Amino acid sequence: MGITEDIGAVVKAFPQARLVAFADLSSRMILTSAGPLSTTQEHLDRLCNQARACFDDPLFSLSVEAFGEPHGAVVMGPDGLRLFLRSDVEPADALCCICDPGIDLAAFVPKIRETLESITHGG
Amino acid sequence: MNKGTLPILARLSSLQADIRALPGGGRVIAEPNDRNPVAQILRVANETMLGRSLEFVSSAGPALTLDVAGRRVLRLIASHGLTGAESCLGAEVLEDEHKDDLIKLLQKVAAPRHELRVISGPLGRGGAEVSVGLPVALLADPLLIDLNPIGPEEPLPDAEAAAAPMPDGGTMQLSGRSIRDFANGVGPVLMAWLIQGGEGDGQSEGPEEMVSHLQGFMDTEREAVVGQLDLLSARPGDPICLMLGVTLIDGHSIICARLQEAILLGVVEGDGTQAALAAWRGLTA
Repeated sequence: MGITEDIGAVVKAFPQARLVAFADLSSRMILTSAGPLSTTQEHLDRLCNQARACFDDPLFSLSVEAFGEPHGAVVMGPDGLRLFLRSDVEPADALCCICDPGIDLAAFVPKIRETLESITHGG
Repeated sequence: MNKGTLPILARLSSLQADIRALPGGGRVIAEPNDRNPVAQILRVANETMLGRSLEFVSSAGPALTLDVAGRRVLRLIASHGLTGAESCLGAEVLEDEHKDDLIKLLQKVAAPRHELRVISGPLGRGGAEVSVGLPVALLADPLLIDLNPIGPEEPLPDAEAAAAPMPDGGTMQLSGRSIRDFANGVGPVLMAWLIQGGEGDGQSEGPEEMVSHLQGFMDTEREAVVGQLDLLSARPGDPICLMLGVTLIDGHSIICARLQEAILLGVVEGDGTQAALAAWRGLTA
């Protein structure tokens, strides 16, 4: 199964995930995405930049110092919920998700992590 | 081809992404079986924010070059194998009166059953400062073209989804609860926290050593924290909450929330994502 199909399967399994996108953080590019949200390149660029900002200082350093390198970020704002997961073996690989606030994060986060690991190891 | 693009293209290829790059920096935007190649031209133009010259070339022969910036078509720079291009070519800046002629040219270059390519370059006649021109949306409307599809000719799952816009950071209607209420709402998984600024300034809970560490961090990094939160917000100063953890669902996470002038910084133990989300939603009216 290709990466587009992988993340498409996540969207299918979690209808409250409105967009799941695979990003290369080092080149600041969303490489592929799935989900019912209408997006423009500008939106995807912004999402990728937000992923980079999550895993950046100063809060990144605070986390590293306290608990170790963070690989997951949840952002809550006026416009809902965004989840960013970075691969722990290939830090440039990340999945960026926009979700409805009612999503079951306890189930969604492990699924996204599993998908990202599969992509990183198979891509 | 730029050496820097090679790994990106290799990655796109491995992803089976819908792109076909060509020698010389061009790429295919419509295959012969594409049902609406004009839509692909308009989408490429609509995604071009910085000033660029876009040369669209049909495998049937015709070609045209547009200067595009900020979702606007500024001018027609060149045409090849197309009749009726004179009025647009002669215009220093395209205006509403050129719209119909330009649409006809786009339809001619986007000949059905032929491959369509685009090659991007610097603006043809300079003048990047020009901010007028024809909005791409104005060209798309009469052709009933949706400029923001989720994929090439890919149907949306349902009608409701088709109407779903990308969140753009709408205004958060606050319930009147404070950032302290947010901390209480997260509950016992929030093992240590403090509030700096605004309502609740100076309040804290948790082991003294942890609170002291958080305090020291905020004393030196508050401005940088605000900057980081602003990068995640649609507008500077908007309410925002970031949880950052090794896994998010076990171990520890950092939580940082901003509500008006108040910033809460805390440490979550275990899976606090659902509790934080519920508490965050409690701040909205």
